[in-house]
Amino acid sequence: MPSSGQIFPSSFRGGAREGFITFLPLSVGLVPWALVMGMAMASTGFTPLQAMGMNIIVFAGTAQLGTLPLIAAEAPLWLIVVTALALNLRFVIFSAALAPGFRGVGTAKRWLAGHLLTDGVFATCLDKMLHTDDPHWRLGYYLAPAVWSWLLWQVFALIGIYAAGFIPKQWSLEFMATIALIVLLVPMARVRPMLIAALVGGASATLLRNMPLRLGVVVAICAGIAAGFAAEHREHKARQS
Amino acid sequence: MNFDASLWLIFILIGLATTLPRASFIVLGSRVALPLVLQRALRYAPAAALAAIVAPDVLVAGGQVEILNPKLAAAGVAVATASLWRNPWLPFIAGMGALHAVRYLSGS
Repeated sequence: MPSSGQIFPSSFRGGAREGFITFLPLSVGLVPWALVMGMAMASTGFTPLQAMGMNIIVFAGTAQLGTLPLIAAEAPLWLIVVTALALNLRFVIFSAALAPGFRGVGTAKRWLAGHLLTDGVFATCLDKMLHTDDPHWRLGYYLAPAVWSWLLWQVFALIGIYAAGFIPKQWSLEFMATIALIVLLVPMARVRPMLIAALVGGASATLLRNMPLRLGVVVAICAGIAAGFAAEHREHKARQS
Repeated sequence: MNFDASLWLIFILIGLATTLPRASFIVLGSRVALPLVLQRALRYAPAAALAAIVAPDVLVAGGQVEILNPKLAAAGVAVATASLWRNPWLPFIAGMGALHAVRYLSGS
């Protein structure tokens, strides 16, 4: 079809094929996540429609899992939004790193690419995005893994939502969301300053849990960032002297 | 629990809070640059935020910090399995197993 050839030039398809093949083995890791996400949303009390609505509108695992307990506790709206923002701020850095790879790509496609950005897609695509000249090839290489991730995320979350209905309440399935957050945290905390940021953030949030409007969470996040940054600074100085 | 229509407003706002950071520089291009100091500080935001959500959940039981509680034991098992093995399912199986084992043994 010549018309589809214009929307997706052959170099786009070439890039898409290569991106997909590179990403496919990694993408298996999304399956347990999406299942847990679906079960966690269902055990928070969302209807399947609400749960899929969140999954499609938000499309960000960490921010979804992290805001669920706040939504369940009827925390104030601004706190929920600030928490989601804090959990996804790392993407500002990823986005800045990938930006040169989108030269020659239109604004609408850039918004789509931005919405579909995930940790896995970033890790897979960064190198090729920065070292390939053809903008169609680059876009294909990025969008194929991104769209595949989106599909896996929606399909397996939906399975998780319905699977949760068959599991008795006393199994405390919602605790799987906490385990999921721990699984995300553990590899981050392998670097010392990051571990310090997590320890200070966790300890502050626990100590400040009775602050009004759950303000303690925000204060704890800021304290954690400051502590991590200070620790990095100290290590840097120690290495220089 | 039942949620009303305001839940959709929450979803849209969380959606903006997650999509704007992702789209930021991809959409703006290289016209703007993030200050280096800010880039380095922002790296700590996810770890601090994750811990700030997880820690009170597993440390506090009945309004008090409780060191001996099933959730903290399960969290410990999840941390251990996630650090030692790369299998993505294991922390969930071991963590949930530990939660129920400790609950059963302590008779609660």
